[in-house]
Amino acid sequence: MALLDWAKKADFDMMFKRYNVIIEGPAIKPEDDADVKKVLPKDEPFKSLAMAVIFGDADKAVQAAKSALDRVSPLDVIEKGLAKGMDAVSALYAKGAYFLPDIMLSADAMTAAMAVAEQKLGRAREKKGTVVSFVAEGDPHDIGKNLVVMFLKANGFEAVDLGRDVPDKEVIEAVKKHKPVMLTGTALMTTTMTAFPRVAKALQEQGISVPVFGCGGGAVKRDFVESYDMGVYGVKAFHAPKLAEAALAGKSWKDIRKEYPKIVGEFVAEYADRM
Amino acid sequence: MGVRRYTKMAYKDPDEMVFGHAKFPVLEHWNVQFGAGYVVPEVKVAPEAGTERSKETLVKEMASIAEQAASRAVDIGLPAFMLEQEHVFQQTYHPDWGYACTLAQAEVLKKYYDEYGVRAALRQTVGDLRIEEKGGLRGSEYDNRIAETIEECCKAGASDIAAETMGGKSVLDYGVMRGDIKAILFGIGYLGSIDMEYFWTRAVNICSKYDTRPAGDTNCSGANTCMYVAGGLLGKDMSHTAAALARAISAARSLVAVECGATGPLKDCGYENTIIKAITGVPICQEGKNAVCAHADVMGNLTCQVVDCWSNESVFHREEMGGPTPAVWLQATGYEAALMNTAIQTGNAKTLRDLYTFTDMFRDPQGTLLAYPNAYRVGKAIVEYGKDIYLRARAAALEASKVMMEAYEAKLLQLTRFELDTLRKYTSILESLPMEAEIFRDQCMREYPRKIPTFDPKSYGL
Repeated sequence: MALLDWAKKADFDMMFKRYNVIIEGPAIKPEDDADVKKVLPKDEPFKSLAMAVIFGDADKAVQAAKSALDRVSPLDVIEKGLAKGMDAVSALYAKGAYFLPDIMLSADAMTAAMAVAEQKLGRAREKKGTVVSFVAEGDPHDIGKNLVVMFLKANGFEAVDLGRDVPDKEVIEAVKKHKPVMLTGTALMTTTMTAFPRVAKALQEQGISVPVFGCGGGAVKRDFVESYDMGVYGVKAFHAPKLAEAALAGKSWKDIRKEYPKIVGEFVAEYADRM
Repeated sequence: MGVRRYTKMAYKDPDEMVFGHAKFPVLEHWNVQFGAGYVVPEVKVAPEAGTERSKETLVKEMASIAEQAASRAVDIGLPAFMLEQEHVFQQTYHPDWGYACTLAQAEVLKKYYDEYGVRAALRQTVGDLRIEEKGGLRGSEYDNRIAETIEECCKAGASDIAAETMGGKSVLDYGVMRGDIKAILFGIGYLGSIDMEYFWTRAVNICSKYDTRPAGDTNCSGANTCMYVAGGLLGKDMSHTAAALARAISAARSLVAVECGATGPLKDCGYENTIIKAITGVPICQEGKNAVCAHADVMGNLTCQVVDCWSNESVFHREEMGGPTPAVWLQATGYEAALMNTAIQTGNAKTLRDLYTFTDMFRDPQGTLLAYPNAYRVGKAIVEYGKDIYLRARAAALEASKVMMEAYEAKLLQLTRFELDTLRKYTSILESLPMEAEIFRDQCMREYPRKIPTFDPKSYGL
């Protein structure tokens, strides 16, 4: 067979390059990474809490939380231990050392341990702010929205998940009820993404302003999102908490459009003209 | 008809497979054949956003897409082409819209066929509107409307009906996000196969009453989700070896449509189609380098290898410098099909096939898996357990793993640590899974319903 002969003779470098293999550095332990070292607590019990989150080990995280609660306050367990672990995970993900499943397992570990701390606290910890998330009416594709919700929760936001195939009216009602710092909408298809300008217009007509209406998904593009007020094109799900934090810090949707790459802290090809 | 499981391969040797030829060609009205010795170019265009606001505007949009494609076909001398229309929500949700839109396109294609003799096929791909947590996959309002719309499209003149069903997606998504290969196997291989049988038994029955072929289904919602999440070489959301395993599993699932009576040509975005063609001999549509308007993949040439209908996947309906997108992208697929047809006519088909394959065979593990000799191996693993939807999906993944490891060990395929680690880890998990479908199902049913709120076991008769 020609394929086998060609495989023996061909110089693959002249045909393609697997850049992911070429750029891969040596394997290091997560705790030895320079960016992780910056956020990783040095003292116990916080280091153990953070490490359990970094390794995505829910059982260990719960155990560490139970044991830590004998010595420190529930809020410290969350803020000085678990949240630091999640910060480290975000840093590892941003640089390509961690992958999506790692983040999910870490988020699960954090959620499980946080429940233990909140039980002791007697209430849920105060969230940074509320975000409402939905998938456009007529659209059943929700993996993007689920990622957005996960990243928001892991970063200390209250994420109100309206689900998929959500009628515009339900979105408006949820915005009225929760007064979110950010609204997110996702859609896979060109004809379902038209829900976004409809929602934006309906909000404006009712005199409601949301600091940021982050929109993204398969067929959604920046020029479309920037064709209506409040819309900010969200490129990656993990950018969502950074956009919400920018809104919390007082940035408007107009500011966020202009400063997107700076806000998310990395090169974003879709916003190359605004780097 | 009942479900006919495949327990042997249609082709005795992978070298028998080549583009433009299928063991069981399909003839559709206006005299278009698929797999009968030539490759048919396909074009697919998504209606402009906003045209779905009324039936009238959408019908007009559909006619315009058909007119622009057909006129370019004549302008550049294409002997035949396929126009596929993937339904927007409204087109399937309102059966009368589905009818009117199909009729508008059928009238245009018939006019060109009558006037110029240009052979055209009209594919209608209904939307799978069903949502597990909103009435379930069986017997819900959404489900009933899909069936009605299929019938209306048949009545209006569709040449064939295709779909991208979503069965098993809630569990699959969970598996993708958490790197859980058992959930991926359960979602695509087990639940997906069950839902396919439900969906396609009905679709085949409806189509059989009309001059409309039940074409087939793609695991767009599963294996393509994995491919999309895996992304390019610098993607950091899913390992490309894991995406390849999901692809192998999806072949066992998408095969079910053919087992229910679907005839092909199988739908374009089913990258698993090479495996299914090897098993069944039905013609296939595929997409790759001329689908850059829709997405990036890492096997743009390879997917031409055994294609019968070459597609652009999807593009917005708008103007390019070269004209409206239905015209421009039919021209792109048309010239690629012309190259393949020239190779057939000059006796160079197998050489061109191998060039297409070799270009991408080691660019990425997904290409390694789908290179036709390897796809054939996965097909053989499937038919060895052909009667058991679970065991054959598991066998497909394990064979895919062997294919990738062999290429890696032969130093032909380079893998990152992440790709190699996930491949080894997932293979070990797959090997440890039970050899009885009932035990596997029970294990999964103890675990996933409590972890995944949107998973509705009743939708699968569980």
